[in-house]
Amino acid sequence: MTKVKIKFFGPFRDLFGGRGIDVELPEGARLRVLLRRLCDTPDRVQQVFAGAEALQPHVVIMKNGTPIHGPDGLETPLQDGDIIAIFPFLGGG
Amino acid sequence: MSELPWGVHGKILEVDLGSGRIGQSPLDPDLVADYIGGRGLGARLLYDCIDPTCDALSPDNVIVIAAAPLIGTNAPTAGRGHMVFKSALSGGIGSSNCGGTWAPAFKSAGFDALVIRGKAASPVLIDIRPERTEILPAGLLWGKDVHQTTEALQAGEADRRTRVLCIGPAGENRVRFAAVMNDRNRAYGRGGPGAVWGSKNLKAIRVSGQKKIQVKDKEKFQSGLDQSFYLLKQAPATKRLLRDLGTAGLVELINLINMLPHRNFLDNLHRDDDVERVSGETLAKKLLQRAAGCYLCPIGCQRHTRVGDKKGEGPEYETMVMIGPDCDIYDLEAITQVNYLCNELGMDTISFGGTLACAMELFERGILQAKDTDGLDLRFGRSDLLDEFARRIAFRQGIGDRLAEGSYRLAESCGHPEFSMTIKKQEVPAYDPRASFTQALGYMTSPTGACHLKGGYAVSLAFFGGTKEIPRFSLLQSPIGIRNMHNLGIIQDSLGVCRFTGYAFSYDPWARMMSGLTGLDFSTARLEEIANRIAAVERLFNLAAGLTEADDTLPARFSREPILVAGEERLVSKEAILRMKTDYYRARGWDERGNPAPATLASLGIGKRKSP
Repeated sequence: MTKVKIKFFGPFRDLFGGRGIDVELPEGARLRVLLRRLCDTPDRVQQVFAGAEALQPHVVIMKNGTPIHGPDGLETPLQDGDIIAIFPFLGGG
Repeated sequence: MSELPWGVHGKILEVDLGSGRIGQSPLDPDLVADYIGGRGLGARLLYDCIDPTCDALSPDNVIVIAAAPLIGTNAPTAGRGHMVFKSALSGGIGSSNCGGTWAPAFKSAGFDALVIRGKAASPVLIDIRPERTEILPAGLLWGKDVHQTTEALQAGEADRRTRVLCIGPAGENRVRFAAVMNDRNRAYGRGGPGAVWGSKNLKAIRVSGQKKIQVKDKEKFQSGLDQSFYLLKQAPATKRLLRDLGTAGLVELINLINMLPHRNFLDNLHRDDDVERVSGETLAKKLLQRAAGCYLCPIGCQRHTRVGDKKGEGPEYETMVMIGPDCDIYDLEAITQVNYLCNELGMDTISFGGTLACAMELFERGILQAKDTDGLDLRFGRSDLLDEFARRIAFRQGIGDRLAEGSYRLAESCGHPEFSMTIKKQEVPAYDPRASFTQALGYMTSPTGACHLKGGYAVSLAFFGGTKEIPRFSLLQSPIGIRNMHNLGIIQDSLGVCRFTGYAFSYDPWARMMSGLTGLDFSTARLEEIANRIAAVERLFNLAAGLTEADDTLPARFSREPILVAGEERLVSKEAILRMKTDYYRARGWDERGNPAPATLASLGIGKRKSP
């Protein structure tokens, strides 16, 4: 079993109903599996995914403080203890 | 001289506070083509009219406030003014930008720029009206805070849509990081423009006007305008996110990428619960009354907030973090309240927080002691002393007199300049450079000293840049990436538009709008050339003021004391500093000492300084 911690920020807190949750996944699970598990309503699917293979442009995913990029990003393997953050794209001063 | 382009009035208002003389001079049309307006025009005008070695707080300093061609059109966010002066902190170029509605009012008064020389014998205000401009006595306003001054000067003026730019007690008392404020809460914040005003006995500039500008090619202008609005609506940051969370929405993200400063940049370690207390999400939940935008702004990042029965604006990300975690403070209400106070006193919150953090470290190390701090225990975390210190600094009382000099001069006076986190004596903003070499380079090569606006905002490049993305520890890519980011910022500041439009687009819509408005060629290639020209003039000013490539560096802490970033220890080594800045100079066509090469100056058409 792989246990990962998910943290939600900005509008994703409302979307997923909280600041974060812990999720248990099968060994060797990839990010795609995690996101599909989280997006269990049409609304959540629509806000996070843009089609089957890509994320919406404003969705930023970080694994242990490092952003996950590109179409291959969804294939990122997850390890026990990983912290996954789901963020809205933002910037400021 | 060429023909005057459309979009400008062709007039510079000249005020000599010493002699009391008021006049106008024609705006050279070539300056519009070569420097546009705002930051660029201001830099060239300042470079041509002062001795860069003068004392920043002497009557020899000059203040240039420049509007821009797009101001007066309905281009999005086109209402930002720019103030150029010799900085009270760095001694190099001071270049400060601000939103609000003063600059559009000034443009409607019929001028493109205002040049203020000399020093008045006693406090004055400059009153700019359609029929005439006058210097009026302001003795009764001296001592009033920014809000009181604004209200007093706007009383009975509602039908004229009068706007006020003014200083508060901090500027009057020449606090080296005093700001100039418009619309009560919008700041020309960094480099101490407020101190320069105070040193001239200039309390306020009130302006009203009705002159409009015309667009030469309405179709071309409209196509750029349509493109800009479309792109602003597409980009997530400008469509919704900045409105929902404000810039403080960044706090959690910056912590997640290990870039959030703590205890005068000692480390980047925070408890998650504490960070949440000062996050944009918590601000929205607890204190936010409404969001709002500046002049013609569809983005709406302003925070109108309330603590108890006190209302005000902010805090922004920088304020939240520099007064918050950088001082080991996580009390949202205390940070917000002192932000309100800094607005009323007219003081830059970044340098205030950075100076306080420095003082706290000096105190904890025993370098400053209770006998030096008026008996106050100035350890990190003293949120209960924030308001007290803001007032002591603004009124230069007790230890406040030393803090009013900024953290560099404070630490140096204690014999320990190494505890001041500054570059060119200006406080480092709320992004730890050890967590991004790109940001480190941006800070080092910013012409005004450490700055996240003049220095380029590298967080976007590392995480949200898309095809322009640059890995944050890339020594190879950072120099060109930062030069490009600097150039975009220079153009935005010279056009009078907001940095946040950069989340939606770079040059294209502006190129179309400017070409359509003025009838001149403002292609994107031309805009790049103009940016390089302005960067070179700012550099020439700094070199003439006595700054050198040795000043393009980082505080020793960032080279000696590592922090953990994504599991790895990071610092910015001396070798990395040297390599990146040398590559940056080369990318600009400057020599290895950072001097613009003669061939570069020739190709940019930069002539000799006109000043005596």
